[in-house]
Amino acid sequence: MPLLELSDLRKRYGGIVALDGADLALEAGEVHVLIGANGCGKSTLCKVIAGSVLPDSGVLRIDGAERRFRSPREAAAAGVGVFYQELSLVPSLSVEDNLLLGREPRRFGLVDRRAVRREAERQLALFAGALGPELAPDSRVADLSADQRQVVEILKVLGEDARLILFDEPTSSLDRRQVAIFFELVRALKREGRTVVFISHRMDEIFEIGDRVSVMRDGRVVETTAVADTDPGRIVRAMVGGEAAAGGAPGAAPGTAPAPARPGDATLLRVDGLSAPRVDGVSLELRAGEILGLGGLHGQGQSALLRGLFGIEPGVRGRIEVEGRPLRRPTPADSIRAGLAYISGDRGRDGVALLRPILENLAYGLVTREGGVAFPRGRVAGRLGPVVERLGLRFGSLSDPVRSLSGGNQQKVVIGRWLATAPRVILLDDPTKGIDVNAKADLFRMVRELAEAGAAILLYSSEDGELLGHAERVLVFNGGRIVRELSGEGLTRHALNEAAYATPGATPGAEAGAAA
Amino acid sequence: MSAQNPSASAAVRRRLGALALHPLTLALAAAVALLALGEAISPGFASPGQIVSQLTIAALLGMVAAGQTLVIIGGREGIDLSVGGVISLCAFVAGNLMAGTDAAIPLALAATLALGFAVGLLNGLGIVLLRIPPLVMTLGMTGVIQGALVILTRGVPSGRSAPALTALMNQPLVAGIPGVLLLWAAVALGVCLLLHNTAFGVRVYAIGANPEVARIAGMRPERIRALLFGLSGMFAGLTGFLVLGYTGSVFVGIGLQYVLPSIVAVVIGGTSLAGGIGGYLGTIGGAITLTVLQSLLITLDAGPAGRQVIFGLTLLVLLLLYGRQRGLRG
Ligand SMILES: Nc1ncnc2c1ncn2[C@@H]1O[C@H](COP(=O)(O)OP(=O)(O)O)[C@@H](O)[C@H]1O
Ligand SMILES: [Mg+2]
Repeated sequence: MPLLELSDLRKRYGGIVALDGADLALEAGEVHVLIGANGCGKSTLCKVIAGSVLPDSGVLRIDGAERRFRSPREAAAAGVGVFYQELSLVPSLSVEDNLLLGREPRRFGLVDRRAVRREAERQLALFAGALGPELAPDSRVADLSADQRQVVEILKVLGEDARLILFDEPTSSLDRRQVAIFFELVRALKREGRTVVFISHRMDEIFEIGDRVSVMRDGRVVETTAVADTDPGRIVRAMVGGEAAAGGAPGAAPGTAPAPARPGDATLLRVDGLSAPRVDGVSLELRAGEILGLGGLHGQGQSALLRGLFGIEPGVRGRIEVEGRPLRRPTPADSIRAGLAYISGDRGRDGVALLRPILENLAYGLVTREGGVAFPRGRVAGRLGPVVERLGLRFGSLSDPVRSLSGGNQQKVVIGRWLATAPRVILLDDPTKGIDVNAKADLFRMVRELAEAGAAILLYSSEDGELLGHAERVLVFNGGRIVRELSGEGLTRHALNEAAYATPGATPGAEAGAAA
Repeated sequence: MSAQNPSASAAVRRRLGALALHPLTLALAAAVALLALGEAISPGFASPGQIVSQLTIAALLGMVAAGQTLVIIGGREGIDLSVGGVISLCAFVAGNLMAGTDAAIPLALAATLALGFAVGLLNGLGIVLLRIPPLVMTLGMTGVIQGALVILTRGVPSGRSAPALTALMNQPLVAGIPGVLLLWAAVALGVCLLLHNTAFGVRVYAIGANPEVARIAGMRPERIRALLFGLSGMFAGLTGFLVLGYTGSVFVGIGLQYVLPSIVAVVIGGTSLAGGIGGYLGTIGGAITLTVLQSLLITLDAGPAGRQVIFGLTLLVLLLLYGRQRGLRG
């Protein structure tokens, strides 16, 4: 009898079907991998098991007995522990308080701070040497980096002593060492007879740790097999479904795809052997008028490459040349003066100063590029006029704060800031996050115009459709490296998926063969 | 006519509305109300001579608060508690360099400004390089300065203002207005131009509103922030120089009474303690309002302790109001 059995689970969010009759059985003591494209319902499935989402219909059995969890508390009492993809930590609390939240050791009825500290230190010691020195039990979670937060969430779940633990993408921000430690912990759980569900987009991880794998597509589990009986190609075909049959030829190996010849187009950006945190020896060339896409799963180094190039993240090694001139250890100011621009979809973090006037936000790029002492508001507004017009920016007055604008118009302000500096190379870092369809269309219309006017564009997008629709060439990233270059006929949705889910480190030729 | 152009008249109305709600307008209205109240309680409170002498005191507060405005706008919990110590130190140094002679004034002024800037820059470097919170860094600096002053002066008042400096503070220069008020007007013009009409000003607001955005746009938030603390030290130094002229000679704790009011003046003036918005015009209004309030409390015989309590309460009430306002906007 399976430890847990789900049958015909259904869940809708308004018009969106998250679960469409999902079935799943977990055996005691196994590591069960769940894989599927973004939005196929993996997280929703976990939340149903964890009692934090109520399904519309369907049956959940544990040890053969039908259960219906109405709250996470009930699920926890039944022995279910969850690593939430969006994390369940309280940012304003310390690491130790988060680790022991709700089950603090007590003495004479009061929280025993010393015992809390001891227990937290014991847990953190599991990741000793892989966390960076700044992580102490009394660090505030809000101050931690993404990988550190994920580790804390892992430790928190482990501390709950559950017999079924669901890990929803616990490794997406971890580096190799942290992943290795995590896998050791998972193996220990298995030895203790506990059951683990592990969600990841990384093929190599799945084959390293999984006993069985279930593939989800459109809210259903379409295939469950022993990991030993399958291969990456079969998994990808199950994930993308019907499209696999229509899919194009496997992509060419890196660097072998002939670039569309456009005589006279100068190379504007040349990157040679660039390494940075999460980027591992990337080389590429970008010509005037070209839109080069960066593809692959989220967080495989695309964003890190763009941020490293622009000088936002330190620790960049390798050669960078803009219009033939080297850019050594760039800072944003250097990059801007060299003719680069960086537009991120994370407007709140990287894009706009919400409290400041639209005029100032539009002028930040100019202020850096041109230097100068004076800031004559009237003249600056005059100079920005054409940019504002071109963007179709809708606003009351240029002296209104940016926060008075809609999300799409805020993003236009960011774009306008860089248009005003007449950049030669534009780095787009998932630029359409959270803006509506019209704003997206406007953005890409503008990007195309800029390319036609001779700018070179490096576009990272987490939506395959945007890459397919706008890039002539796509470099697929995995584990910080370019694993495939797709262009022309070879640039299809299927090829993108296949390359994205390939194992980093394996030779591209071998993968292509296995997937075919 | 206006009916034909509704958008223009709406714009004018909006401009007028903004003007009416400007912190300077509000603060000055409060000051006038307080003056009227004082005049009613104690006739002569609002006489021209009284108003000039209150403005002179407000000028001193306004100059310290200029630096305070800058570091607060710069964000990241920017605040300068060391202004009191710097005022005392600079008044002491100026008084000893001057020793009562007019000829030594230029040297004393230059030394004072440089010393204030250096101390402020030290604050700034500790804050950006060692990541010490501004509150802690500048409080620590106050302790160091006050300790040094006790050693230097052995607790005895020392130094002497030069006659010309004393005259600047106390004698009418043109049309019954003492020189210090003209100086304040010049400083105000300079600070407002710096904040609103220079690239540096744009950067200061940007790092206060969103340091990461500023950094990505090629600005250097750390460098600017350190410089702002330097400027705050310099304004405190200038204030110390003028305080010497006002009081004639210097005792160790002479500057400490300016610390809390300088912050309150900024906050009353509508500058957000969270950084990124505000300006010096509001601070001017805040300094005047506070000074009149203080005089009124003296007239009412509230005593120094009572005055401190009132300042503290004013700060709290305003923080509550501004906090709520931000909540509404957010
Ligand atoms: N709280 C929610 N409200 C509305 N839609 C949601 C919500 N949670 C998930 N969805 C939608 O349900 C679908 C499945 O989401 P999810 O389970 O998170 O997928 P996965 O984890 O496989 O990426 C997606 O289309 C997602 O947008
Ligand atoms: Mg998910």
